[in-house]
Amino acid sequence: MRAAFTKKNGSMDKRLDFMFKRRSVRQYNDQPVSPDDIKAILEAAMAAPSASNLKPWHFVVVTSRGLLEELADAHPYGKMLTQAGIAIAVCGDPKISERYWDQDGAAATENILVAASALGLGAVWLGCHPRKERKSAVRKILEIPDNIEVLSLISVGHPAERKPARTQYDETRVHRERW
Amino acid sequence: MQVGLTGLNCEEHLTKPFEFLLKRGNQPPEPRTIAPEDIRALLEAGMAAPSAAPVKPWHFVTIANRFRLQALGAAHTHGAMLAESALAIAVCADPEITGGNWSHEVSGVTQNILLAAVSLGLGTIWIGSHPSEERKAAIRKVLAIPDSVDVLGLVAIGYPSSGKPARAEFHEGRVHEEEW
Repeated sequence: MRAAFTKKNGSMDKRLDFMFKRRSVRQYNDQPVSPDDIKAILEAAMAAPSASNLKPWHFVVVTSRGLLEELADAHPYGKMLTQAGIAIAVCGDPKISERYWDQDGAAATENILVAASALGLGAVWLGCHPRKERKSAVRKILEIPDNIEVLSLISVGHPAERKPARTQYDETRVHRERW
Repeated sequence: MQVGLTGLNCEEHLTKPFEFLLKRGNQPPEPRTIAPEDIRALLEAGMAAPSAAPVKPWHFVTIANRFRLQALGAAHTHGAMLAESALAIAVCADPEITGGNWSHEVSGVTQNILLAAVSLGLGTIWIGSHPSEERKAAIRKVLAIPDSVDVLGLVAIGYPSSGKPARAEFHEGRVHEEEW
């Protein structure tokens, strides 16, 4: 079914392989994520655009097993964090950009996912904002100040599952010139 | 060329007959069209983004018609470049079908389009509309988008007329290790 759909509608342009290879990866082996990879991922995050170039983002990088386990308990879809090499909490300061901190943080989050995949790592986006209970749980564990928003948690590790590149192209969602 | 006919006078004299050429060069040329398969590749990259559940709440309106691009440019406070772009994509979402937060999901989609464009040799800029009801209403009107559909923003796309170097903007002060 999926193959037929792909063949019919998707072209999966080779130049964009790095985009189609990005999959949500939730199983990891115990190889640690290197400091160089962490730095590269954060640099990719901060290469995202932001409204009026205000860069309202902050990132909390978690490698401690204890904190990863606490985060796994705190997020309803966060079980994979117990196996993850690192977690990154993508945060935003609404004082810097009240209207756009979350869209900017989402762009940074997507850059992290694409960068992780390009580095041979696997990652998954765990949403927090706007759910108060998720945000306050993460805030408490990572001692994030109350005036800082928590957009998402990203679980990252060396993949222990293989997912093929794929297209989700759906022509019914494309409107030409007007709706 | 006579000795002595140097400097500004000489340059003025020599360039005068070609003034019309120089003027033409200063006018914005009709933007180079983006191939249909590249438009599809951009949309495919957009739809390769993750979504919660995953229910994929996104919709796209692609605009290549010059008059409509001009109308869009006029409708958005920061949209002047749309009038000269080859293509615009309005990134939309149906809030009814999202299992998460539609504006975050389609922000990821938008960012994928921006990244894909670079790999296709294209230049882009993200022009935000959500959460401004005013901007969204103006875009809805030009593109006949139903009121039930939300509009995250527009992406203006074209072949860049100037290059910007790659750069890293790593701010150590925004990185917190283990805890804030």
